[in-house]
Amino acid sequence: MIKKIAALALALAAATAPAAPAAAAAKNPDTFVYATIGDPESFDPAWAYDTASQSVIANVYEYLLAFKGSGVKPKDLKPLLATAVPTPANGLISPDGRTYRFKIRKGVKFQDGSPLTPDDVRYSLLRFMLFDRDGGPSSLLLEPVVGQASTRKDGKTIPGIGEKAFAAVAVKGDEVVVKLAKPFAPFLTIVASFAPAMSRRWCAAHGQWDGELATWEKFSNPRLEQSLPKTLMNGTGPFQLERFEPTTKEVVLTRFDGYWRKPAALKNVVIKVVDEFETRKLMIQAGDADVIYVPQMYRPQVSGLAGVQVLDGLQDLERSLLLNFTFHINGAGNSNIGSGKLDGDGVPPDFFNDKDVRKAFAYSIDYQGYIKDILRGTGTQSAGLIPPGLIGYKAGSPRYRFDPAKAAEHFKKAWGGKVWEKGFKLALVFNAGSAPAQTLCQMLKKNIEKLNPKFQLDIRVVQWSTYLEQTRQRKMPIQLGAWQADYPDPHNFVFPLLDSAGYFPTQQGYSNPELDKLIEQAVRTLDEHKRAALYAKIQKIADEDVPVVPIADGPRYRVQRSWVKGFVFNPTFPDAPYSSYYYDIHKE
Amino acid sequence: MLKFILKRLAFLPFVLFGVTALLFSCLQFLSPEMRAALYVKDPRQLSQLDAVIEKYGLRKPLPVQYGIWLKQVAHGDLGYSETAKMPVADAIRSFFPATFELTLVTFFPIMIVGVFFGVLSAVYRDKFIDHLTRFVAITGYSLPSFVLGLGLLMVFYGRLHWFPPGRYTLDTDMLVHSDAFRHWTGLLTLDCLLNRQWAAALDVAEHMVLPAATLLYISVALLLRITRSSMLEELTKDYVRTARAKGLPERVIIRKHALANALIPVVTLSSLLFIGLLGGVVITETVFDFPGIGRWGVQAAQQLDIPGVLGSTMLAAFLFVTANLISDILYAVVDPRIRVGN
Repeated sequence: MIKKIAALALALAAATAPAAPAAAAAKNPDTFVYATIGDPESFDPAWAYDTASQSVIANVYEYLLAFKGSGVKPKDLKPLLATAVPTPANGLISPDGRTYRFKIRKGVKFQDGSPLTPDDVRYSLLRFMLFDRDGGPSSLLLEPVVGQASTRKDGKTIPGIGEKAFAAVAVKGDEVVVKLAKPFAPFLTIVASFAPAMSRRWCAAHGQWDGELATWEKFSNPRLEQSLPKTLMNGTGPFQLERFEPTTKEVVLTRFDGYWRKPAALKNVVIKVVDEFETRKLMIQAGDADVIYVPQMYRPQVSGLAGVQVLDGLQDLERSLLLNFTFHINGAGNSNIGSGKLDGDGVPPDFFNDKDVRKAFAYSIDYQGYIKDILRGTGTQSAGLIPPGLIGYKAGSPRYRFDPAKAAEHFKKAWGGKVWEKGFKLALVFNAGSAPAQTLCQMLKKNIEKLNPKFQLDIRVVQWSTYLEQTRQRKMPIQLGAWQADYPDPHNFVFPLLDSAGYFPTQQGYSNPELDKLIEQAVRTLDEHKRAALYAKIQKIADEDVPVVPIADGPRYRVQRSWVKGFVFNPTFPDAPYSSYYYDIHKE
Repeated sequence: MLKFILKRLAFLPFVLFGVTALLFSCLQFLSPEMRAALYVKDPRQLSQLDAVIEKYGLRKPLPVQYGIWLKQVAHGDLGYSETAKMPVADAIRSFFPATFELTLVTFFPIMIVGVFFGVLSAVYRDKFIDHLTRFVAITGYSLPSFVLGLGLLMVFYGRLHWFPPGRYTLDTDMLVHSDAFRHWTGLLTLDCLLNRQWAAALDVAEHMVLPAATLLYISVALLLRITRSSMLEELTKDYVRTARAKGLPERVIIRKHALANALIPVVTLSSLLFIGLLGGVVITETVFDFPGIGRWGVQAAQQLDIPGVLGSTMLAAFLFVTANLISDILYAVVDPRIRVGN
C-alpha cells in the first residue's frame, strides 16, 4: 500500500513534468494497435474509396502488383499475385503498349480456404469496373481499360459497355490478359493499389455479382447496403478480419496462418477510433497504442515523449485540406440547409451554383491564420490542385487570399443581392476528431458572420462514415476533404477534383464540359511540356470557376512507439503515414 | 402499502403518455422528410422517403401521426440511428449495458460515501471531518468532469499505467467475442465471473475504476451536503432533545432516530442521481472512451440523428419516471405518514 501511495505521489509530481526518453520492452509484442479518428465506411474493395476503409482492405486483400519500399513509379513495382511485373522487355506488355499479361501465382489461398484462380482475378477486375457506384473508384480502371470513366451517361447504362469490359479482360491459361482502350502509363500502378483479388464463388455465395455478363447491370451502382457488409472479408492477404465492432467502430485483424508467404510477425492488428487526442496521447504513452493520429496543432505534445518517436520528413502526394462546394444539395430531410430557401433561415439547394457565393467563401478563409494556428506555421497555402513533384504543379501565388472586403463584395452580388439582403443559414459539418477541419469551420463561421449579422453558420460534427455517407447523398453544403494520390500522376488529382465523373464532382453535382475536355486531352498527351501547359490551363479555369478551394499543406510525419520496426512509408498507401502495411511490421 | 403502490403504478402510463406526446410534438418542428427516419428499421428505406411519408401519414394531423408512431414504438420500432448505424432499439441494447454496469459500480459507493460522511460532518459539525467533506463537496461540485477525468487519466494511466481507458483490453475483447463466452446478463464483469474468467472480470473492473472514481467525486458532493443539512435539521428537533434527556446513547439517537428521518430527502436525491447516471454520463464516457449510452446520445444530438436523440431521450424519460415511482415507494417505506396521507 505504501509503495502504491509513494508511486502515486511520484506520478502526481511527474504528471505535469516532461518525460525523458526511455527504452522499453514492447508491450503486447504480437499485437499492433493504431488509434485514429476515422471509422471505415466499407470493406468492399469495389465500393471503398476512403483511406480508413482502404487501409484495412490493403491488409486483407492483395493486388496483382505491389510497390517496393517508398517507390511510386512503374519501375518501383514488384510482383505480388502476379508472378512478374509486365514490361515490354519481358514481353508481358505488347509493343503497342495496350495489352498486359499477368501470370497468376499458384498456391495462393483465400482466407476461406479456396484456391486463387486466374478466373478470380478476371472476376475481380471486372467487378471493380462494373460495380461503378457514383463517386467510387471504378473510374480508375474503367478509364484505361474501357476508355470511359463511367458505365453510365445521364444516369443510363452506356450500351455495350459491359461487353467492352468483358472483351478487354480475359483468361488465357495461367494468365489474365488486359487490353487497354489506349496506352495508359500509370495502369500498372493502379493495379498495385486497386481491384484486389476476390473469390468469385464466395462473392456469389454472399449475394454479390456472379460474374456473368447477363447479370452485371443488376449489381451496378448499388447502394452501400447492397455491397458486402463490414462483417465479411475474404482476401488472400496476410491478415483476416476478425471483427468489426459496430458500437466502438473498432477493427480487429488477425494473422492469416494459411498465407502463401511467410505468415506475418504480428498476430493481431487493432484499429481503434479514439476521437479525443488526449486519450490517444495517453495510449501511446502507456504503450497501449503503437501508432496514433496526431494533427499538426498537437505535434509539440508528442515530441520528447518517452518511448515515442516521430518520423519526420515524409514526402506525401496529397492535398491535405480542400473545401468543396456542393452545387446541387439534396434538400430531402436535410437540416444542413435549414428552410431550404433564401429567406434568412436557410439556403436553397443550388445556393453554391452562384459563382459569387463560392468566391465570397474563398475570400473568407483565413489561410495564414490556418497555417499559423493549425499547422503551427509549418505549412504553405496551396496555389493549385496538383501537389509538388508532379507535372503541372503550380508554384506561384494562390488565387485567393483572406480578404473580407472582397468577400463582402461578392456576397452583395450573389443571387442578385438577395443573399446580402435576406441573409442565410447553413451548417458547416466536419468529421469527429479532425481538429484542422473543426478549426477551419470555426474560422469560416467567425469571418462570414462578421460580414453581415444576417449570415449564420452552424457547426456540426459527425462520425467519418456518416460524413462520407452524407457527402455521397449530397447533403453537405460544403465538404471538407483531402485527396491522397492513388497513383503518382496529375490526372489522379484533376480528374477526381474537377472532372464531372470524378470523386468530388459527382458528390458536388459539379460539371464543367470545358474542364472535362481538357482533362481528357491532358491525360492523352505524351509531351510533358504540352501536358504541363494543359494542367496550368485546367487549374486557371478551376481558380475562376472555384468548385474547390485548396487551403494549405503541412509537413507529414508519423508518431509511433520506438519498438515498432519495419515501417516503410509509401505515399500511395492509404492513410499513409499513419496506417501501415502490417505485414512489414514487427515489435521489438 | 399495496394500494399505494398500485395507485402509483396506475399513474405511470399517463406520465409516459405525457412525456411521449411532448417529445413527439417537439418533432413537428422538423420537416416530414427529417422525421421519416423515425419509422424505418433499415437504411435502405430512407432512399424512398416519399413512400415512408405516405405510409406513416407524416403529413396528416398530429394526433393521427402520434397514434401511428405510438403503435410503432409499442412494437419496439424506434427508427434507425444514423450515428449508431443500426436500429435505435438495437443501439439501446448495445450501449445501455455498459452504462448500467458503470452506474451500478458507481452508485453504491456514492451512497455509502455520501451518507456516511454526510452524517459524520453533521455530527462533528465544524470539526476537521466537516471541513474535509465541505472541501470535497465544493471541489467535486465545481470541478468540470472532463478536467477531473483527464487529470485522473494522466496520473493513473499516463504515468502509473494502472487503469486504462476503454472497456477492456484486447485479450478480454477476444474472449467476450468468442463463441465460448456466454453473455448471461449483459453486465460484463458479472458475465466474466459467471464464465469463470477471473482475469477478464478483473480487467473489465479495472477499466471502470477511473470513470467510476470521476463520477463518484463529482456526484457525491450534493449527497454529502444534503445528508449533512438534513441530519443537522433532525439533530436540532425536539424528539432528539427528548431522546437525549432520556439518556439514550448518542449513537442510538443518530442511527435509529435522526438518520431515518434525515434519509427522506436523500432517497429522492439518490433516485435522481441513479437516473442521472443511467441516462448516460456524457463527458465521462467520452473522456474515458467508454462505449455507453451517454456518448451515443450526445453523438446523436451533434449529428441531428433524430431517432437516436428521441430514443435516448425516451429511455431517459422512462428511467426517470420509473425511478420516481421507486423513490415514492421508498418514501412511503421510510416515512409511513406519506402513504397514510395518500
